Amino acid sequence: MIKLANVSKHYTKDSIGLDDVSLKIEPGEFISVVGQSGTGKTTLVKLIIAEEKPTEGNIEVGGWDITKIHQRDVPFLRRQIGVIFQDFKLLPKKTVQENVAFALEVAGVPHSRIREVVPKVLDIVGLRKKVDSYPHQISGGEQQRVVIARSLVHRPKILVADEPTGNLDSINTEEIIEILKRINEFGTTILLVTHNREVVNRLRKRVVTLHNGKIIADEKEGKYRL
Amino acid sequence: MLTLFRIIKFAFQDMARNVGLSSMTVLILVLMLLSINTLVVINVFTNEAVKSIKDQIDVSLYFNYEATNEEINEVKSYVGGFPEVTEIIYLNRDEVLAKFKEQQKNNPEVLSALDELGENPLGPTMIVKTREPKDYEKVIQALNVPEYENIIEAKTFGDTQKAIDRIHIITTQVQRFAIGLSLLFALIAFLIILNTIRVAIYTQRIEISIKKLVGASNWFVRGPYVVESLFFSIASILIIGGLLWIAFRLLDPYTAIVFQKSNLLFDYYLNNRYLLIGIQLGSVLFLTVVSSLLAMRRYLRV
Repeated sequence: MIKLANVSKHYTKDSIGLDDVSLKIEPGEFISVVGQSGTGKTTLVKLIIAEEKPTEGNIEVGGWDITKIHQRDVPFLRRQIGVIFQDFKLLPKKTVQENVAFALEVAGVPHSRIREVVPKVLDIVGLRKKVDSYPHQISGGEQQRVVIARSLVHRPKILVADEPTGNLDSINTEEIIEILKRINEFGTTILLVTHNREVVNRLRKRVVTLHNGKIIADEKEGKYRL
Repeated sequence: MLTLFRIIKFAFQDMARNVGLSSMTVLILVLMLLSINTLVVINVFTNEAVKSIKDQIDVSLYFNYEATNEEINEVKSYVGGFPEVTEIIYLNRDEVLAKFKEQQKNNPEVLSALDELGENPLGPTMIVKTREPKDYEKVIQALNVPEYENIIEAKTFGDTQKAIDRIHIITTQVQRFAIGLSLLFALIAFLIILNTIRVAIYTQRIEISIKKLVGASNWFVRGPYVVESLFFSIASILIIGGLLWIAFRLLDPYTAIVFQKSNLLFDYYLNNRYLLIGIQLGSVLFLTVVSSLLAMRRYLRV
């Protein structure tokens, strides 16, 4: 579960990321956060993965109060949250398989376990046949699927996707959303930050709308209303 | 253990990618160590030079040729009672004459004048050596008493203290220059290491952000840079060790001529190896670790 209580994030006096936001996301939920550019969507993601600290208010992730989380505890939080970005963040000199394995290597997971986990997650995203390809040899949609696979290796309870389809065409967008839905069906909470009206409207899931750092709408089976 | 192995792997990958900058860092560290070792060598030479000058210093007591053996023995036991005195050499009248003739063998006028005299005009001589040059003054003062006025004709003391003082002045200046040079190299090394780590962090910013994103611990992110610092330190120590070995093999034959001692520098380093390696490794490690930690603190947010 993710819980934000009266959370504000002020970068400077005039630059406000979030303004008194309260939000509760239940385990297993699929929630879309929508809003125009600069309304605080990415700030919300950064606060949840502890890349930023709130100016005011409290944040809880999986029962863990991360409001004033110590730097040394951040890696343990990150292993519980899978994160996907629009710009993929893949290592160009590593193959698909190595990119996915990298997430386990940095966490000190033994080689035997890596050899066991990596093929499984690549199966989930349908990239078993591309294990030896480099990022520049596969399509944007496939690159995003590699990122999803990498975010799944730690078996996270929460998956945060910040504009995951921003760089993709409609077919690849559809594929990525299908994968996210499938992961959600396994019980993982999905927080999808997006601009894509079609995606949000077709999902028929909970939609939170942000405007100027505030929540202006929170609907259980919502639509893109901006 | 596995994490440490991976940290080392990442460190070597990074050094290979920035091989030019890594080599430059090691080179500057080697130059810094070279200037430190120049200081050490200067100290060895100074100490050896001062020691050899001290060995040549003595006080010569020239006795009246009428002085009796009892009187001479009394002076000998009196002087021998001083704790500062390390050696007393006594030369009787015949030995003094023989030594004098030997010294003047190329001076026929002096030798013929001696022959004309028909008898030995020289009295016995006593050569006194002390631990330190300053102790000679004490010995001479102690002999300036009325009882010995008629026995001791003359007391000579070559003022080599001035020569020693001059050596100290020259070596102090050279040492100051070497210290200044060492500090300059240390500063350059500090800035280069700072920038090496900074460039490494910049070139790997994507990799670092991915590491952080997927939950790498802070030390997993920082570890490779610390390993790089350790590698730079060890590499520079090994290189300087090799350079010194070659330098001493070339220099020692010459120092043997000057100081009458074979393998002076080599033996000095061998006898003081733990101290010298410890000090140099410590200073290089301090420099590299502090500069890399500073660079990480400044440029690497984990």
